[in-house]
Amino acid sequence: MFCVAALVVFSILGIFSATHREYARRALDCVFRRVTLRPCNTGFSEQVRSQILARLLGRSVWAAKMFNKYFEVFAWIFMIAMVASTIWTAQGIYRYYLYGSCNGLNSTSFCAFDPSGTNNKVSSMQDSETCSLVNSTESDLTLAGLDLSLFPRQNESAKDKLVMIACYECDYSRAVYPDIAKLVAKYNLDFTFIHFPVKAGESETFMSAFGNCVYKSSPEKFWAWNEQMFAASKSDLDKPEFVATLASNLGLDGQALLSCALDQATLDQVRSQYSEAKTTKFYGTPTIFINGQAAVGPKPYRVYRAMVNKYLFF
Amino acid sequence: MFNTSQVRQDFPLLTRPDSARQIYFDNACMSLKPSLVIDAMTEYYRDYPACVGRSSHHLGQLASQKVQAVRAKVAKFINASSEEEIIFTRNTTESINLVARSLGIKATDRILVSDKEHNSNLVPWQLLCQQTGATLEVLPSRADNTFDLDHFAQVITGARLVAIGHTANLDGVTVPISEIIRLAHSAGAQVLVDGAQAMLHQRLDVRALDLDYLAFSGHKMLGPTGTGVLYGKASLLNSLEPFLVGGDTVESVTYTDHKFLPVPERFEAGLQDYAGLLGLGAAIDYLSALDFSAIREHEYQLNHYLTSEVQKLAKFRLIGPEDPRQRSGVLSFYFDGVDAHQIALMLDNMSGIMIRSGQHCVHSWFHAHKLTGSARVSLAFYNTMEEAEQFIKTLTKINQIF
Ligand SMILES: Cc1ncc(COP(=O)(O)O)c(C=O)c1O
Repeated sequence: MFCVAALVVFSILGIFSATHREYARRALDCVFRRVTLRPCNTGFSEQVRSQILARLLGRSVWAAKMFNKYFEVFAWIFMIAMVASTIWTAQGIYRYYLYGSCNGLNSTSFCAFDPSGTNNKVSSMQDSETCSLVNSTESDLTLAGLDLSLFPRQNESAKDKLVMIACYECDYSRAVYPDIAKLVAKYNLDFTFIHFPVKAGESETFMSAFGNCVYKSSPEKFWAWNEQMFAASKSDLDKPEFVATLASNLGLDGQALLSCALDQATLDQVRSQYSEAKTTKFYGTPTIFINGQAAVGPKPYRVYRAMVNKYLFF
Repeated sequence: MFNTSQVRQDFPLLTRPDSARQIYFDNACMSLKPSLVIDAMTEYYRDYPACVGRSSHHLGQLASQKVQAVRAKVAKFINASSEEEIIFTRNTTESINLVARSLGIKATDRILVSDKEHNSNLVPWQLLCQQTGATLEVLPSRADNTFDLDHFAQVITGARLVAIGHTANLDGVTVPISEIIRLAHSAGAQVLVDGAQAMLHQRLDVRALDLDYLAFSGHKMLGPTGTGVLYGKASLLNSLEPFLVGGDTVESVTYTDHKFLPVPERFEAGLQDYAGLLGLGAAIDYLSALDFSAIREHEYQLNHYLTSEVQKLAKFRLIGPEDPRQRSGVLSFYFDGVDAHQIALMLDNMSGIMIRSGQHCVHSWFHAHKLTGSARVSLAFYNTMEEAEQFIKTLTKINQIF
């Protein structure tokens, strides 16, 4: 038992030090031969044990005595702890690969591979009435009852459906949008885009309204405009003329769209879109639903790809 | 008083800056080497690395002379009648096998061994007896592990050979070899003595003892590894069958037949370890200059101190007689319920003390006594009282955890 545990520990330490590499080699030898004590040979575990004992004895006779007495028990505990942590580590790596977090999809708990937790950060939503953070969790997220026809949508007939709730001015939404656009194109997804500014001020509402007008006048050109909105610098987004210029550059009538965006009917439409979006109980942007399953925060591309491909989850 | 500090200067390992952290107490397994021995080996490789006894060129002649001189030194060291009685082998084990394979043992023969023989002086006889139908008899020791001469006197009649260790590596006990030889000879038996453990601690006089065969290893007597000697009375050697044969053992060969050389060449097949033999010669030079009675007294002092101190530890069990005078430089012991390897390893880890642990290739004795092994301190003349004290200090500490 000791040999197996020692093999793993020394193999890891061996990455950094030659002495431990030699120990790892001997542990391997020991594991294979299962020899602890040949009469003319001295077992590896005895060697390590006595080395530890010699050190302990220099500090505390009691500790050395206990260690000596319960050596096998220690070896077992150590081994079990190691096997368990190895499984957890493997699971963590697997999850990190598939979900972008060691702890599972959308988990914000600490993950060593993503120490700053970037993959799960969101621009948090404030309740417009109470100004407090929206009190909702991942398990509340749902598409049930969401009327997709209220929002810009493309390729409706496709089998795999992606709904993105994002905001032009939010860093995490901006970070992830190119990946989503790429994913949509590659897998030809049914894509619904919901613009939801987490801070619902005037200029933010304007962007929603303007977007609706662009979509109304040309559903095809909307997607190009949308992409440019995410790519533009944040400070420009506040300027209605800039937003209009983006549309004009695509061959649309920027001035007409500007007045459309100020139209009361459009603003009403925006309001109803916002309240419809809230039925998903989302609590921050970006929130991306792929075939009904939510991914909160900017995940690596591979995570979205895995969701589309329906790779194994656990 | 034996002057250890002077002899220690001759051993490179004992003069290193870290020598205080290296206490070598495993001399029964392998002795240390003085510079003289190392230099002699280097000299061969550097100055005359040639074939011995074959090439007539000047280097070959020089090498041949040097090796022949070693043979003469060995003969003189053990007081053999002539150089022809000295056969170079690789070690004690090979020397014993040579005799075992060459004696022409028959189904009616009886061979006696003691119950404490090293595997090298037991397994060759077991195999031989299995193959020839001869009888192997084990002589039981007395309760204190010393040789039972009375029992021996009763069973010697009719034996063909007594193969016996002079000093046991198990516990350091030396058998009363001259009485054994006398009794054996008067009963018509021959005696092969395994002298592996004797040579570092005393001078053996093969003629005074009237020894028939003596086997020993260079590496246990300050010499290099891979060197061994078989002494045999010339008359007996000449009657032995060849053992390993081939180059250097024959005078002439045709496609159908061969004529062997006389002893000792007949038994030295193929090129030998000449550098090693020259080292052995140097070791014998070194040993010849030592006062063995002073050495014996020095080793006794150390062993006496060790024995009296170590007996204070509760779980301590000694193998062999209590009197250290009867145990040469050996202190073989175990702690009840404690793995001997662990004691040895901890001594090393804590104070750099090197001892042997396990069954010391005397498995048969341990099996018979239902013991898993022992820890064995084996001293040499270069060991000091300070080293012995350090050993006791460390062992006392280790004893606390059991
Ligand atoms: C008593 C005795 N006989 C024989 C041998 C075998 O010696 P070698 O290994 O040199 O052949 C030893 C070695 O430890 C020994 O102690």
